[in-house]
Amino acid sequence: MSFLRSFWVPLALLAGALVLVLDPVPFVSPVARPVPVPDWATNTNPVRQPKLVPHYVVAGFTYQCSDCHRIIPSPRETQRRLTQHTDIELNHGLNTRCFNCHHPHNRDAFVDDFGEEIPWNQPQQLCGKCHGPVYRDWEHGSHGRLNGYWDAGRGPQLKRRCIECHDPHHPPFGSMTPAPGPDTLRMGPSLPPGHEGRRDPLRIYSAQAPPTASH
Amino acid sequence: MAPPENPPGAGGDVARPAEVSRRGFLTQGAAAAAGLAALAAALSPLRHLKEGDLPTAEEFLQKHYKEMTAAEKARVLGRIQEQVKKRYGVTSQVNDPPPLDGVEFVYGLNISRCIGCRKCVHACVAENNPSRAPEIQYIRVLEMEKGSIDVETANHRYDASQVPRPDKWYMPVQCHQCANPPCVKVCPVEATWQEPDGITVIDYDWCIGCRYCEAACPYWARRFNFTEPQIEPDQLNPDLAYLSNRPRQKGVMEKCTFCLHRTRVGKLPACLEVCPTGSRKFGNVLDPTSEVHYILKHKRVFILKADVGTLPRFFYYFDERGSRYHDPLEGAGQATHGEGA
Ligand code: SF4
Repeated sequence: MSFLRSFWVPLALLAGALVLVLDPVPFVSPVARPVPVPDWATNTNPVRQPKLVPHYVVAGFTYQCSDCHRIIPSPRETQRRLTQHTDIELNHGLNTRCFNCHHPHNRDAFVDDFGEEIPWNQPQQLCGKCHGPVYRDWEHGSHGRLNGYWDAGRGPQLKRRCIECHDPHHPPFGSMTPAPGPDTLRMGPSLPPGHEGRRDPLRIYSAQAPPTASH
Repeated sequence: MAPPENPPGAGGDVARPAEVSRRGFLTQGAAAAAGLAALAAALSPLRHLKEGDLPTAEEFLQKHYKEMTAAEKARVLGRIQEQVKKRYGVTSQVNDPPPLDGVEFVYGLNISRCIGCRKCVHACVAENNPSRAPEIQYIRVLEMEKGSIDVETANHRYDASQVPRPDKWYMPVQCHQCANPPCVKVCPVEATWQEPDGITVIDYDWCIGCRYCEAACPYWARRFNFTEPQIEPDQLNPDLAYLSNRPRQKGVMEKCTFCLHRTRVGKLPACLEVCPTGSRKFGNVLDPTSEVHYILKHKRVFILKADVGTLPRFFYYFDERGSRYHDPLEGAGQATHGEGA
């Protein structure tokens, strides 16, 4: 007893040192495995890939729009149910007439304010008829997408056209599923979906704790 | 270290010289042994050292980036290439593109258009080789209530099934490449500095990991490697630059560099290329025909935390009211194909 009383400090130090040297409790890193990021999250393609040519595909065959429309005239008034092109749902605000945009006589072109033709691959001229401020911003580069080089002298610039992001028959830019959110240390299970609060740092150590009720 | 032998007044034993000195000897011997063991314990992490954990003499003697001659730089770039090959088995190209003459980069972000999809965050990660676990991301997309701009209560962990949420707006934040950068001022070893084209860079081989700059940054733009960064070899981007996306080591700071390995050769930054909404705009502000020049001149622009005097080269702008056509028009009929539809 008196031995213990006299030597407890060095003994405690020795025991502590032994624990440190022998390392009986293995270190478990709280850092979890990386989570895979979906491929679409890093895909630089625009949300739409329009053909920019007046083609129509039926049953595997590609037709020029005028192939049919040269022969079969469309009725003038377009506020009616379509009998063809029924997959198109025109939902473009106050713009409810096909011939506001499509040329009434040459279906391989769009129509400008004076009845002249706008080539199919220049949709921005058509959209600019109504959307003046956006067209101005697009021309100067404050609206819309650019890919490639910021310095045109060093490489190609790919300026995206209106319909590479907007569906002309339903123009609002759609909503989408966001890519995975941050999980800084990749520690433990992530928050249950719908949970908007902060992570509770203590929760990761009680791994079996049920997730807080989502709302 | 040793406890006092026979504290006065402990009673009982009357100290006899021989016994006392023997006890003292044992005490001090045990204490010395304990001390040695403690030293061994303190050194024991060295047992886990792997090859490459300690710097080679060459690495240790490497000069500051700005003091290296062209030949020394070339040697260092070659060494980094070898290390990447050894560590990841990836053949990389390590460059050191210089700043371009007459170019000052600025970055604009259209908050009227950003939908908070976080594609920019992941494109940045894929480009810049930050650690995947623990996770380092340079861009944070803040979600805020419409009508408020309170970054203190902003949420960057939103997990909506669809964005944008109708009552929220989104503001991505990354390094603002300030013209008056507090992070550069606080660095005790000048491991971070502002380049002539406006990009604040870090020499990862010079950083001592004190994290002062992280604390000084008002935009929370700097990230620290608390552990050895983990990257799968197939995820490593082999187009590397000394001052930007070369693999980092444990204990150093990193941050957005406007993708200088891309932008200094004329390309657009990775976060811009991937943005589906075209909210991100980048260019040379000194060029009067550039997009960013137009935006700064003609759009309504604001900078984050203007009151802290950092003079950011990253700004936010927004469009005229009513130019967002997906804001529903009051009373507009949702007519499709006519009356019946
Ligand atoms: S990719 Fe574009 S739209 Fe998506 S969060 Fe980033 S800035 Fe916003």
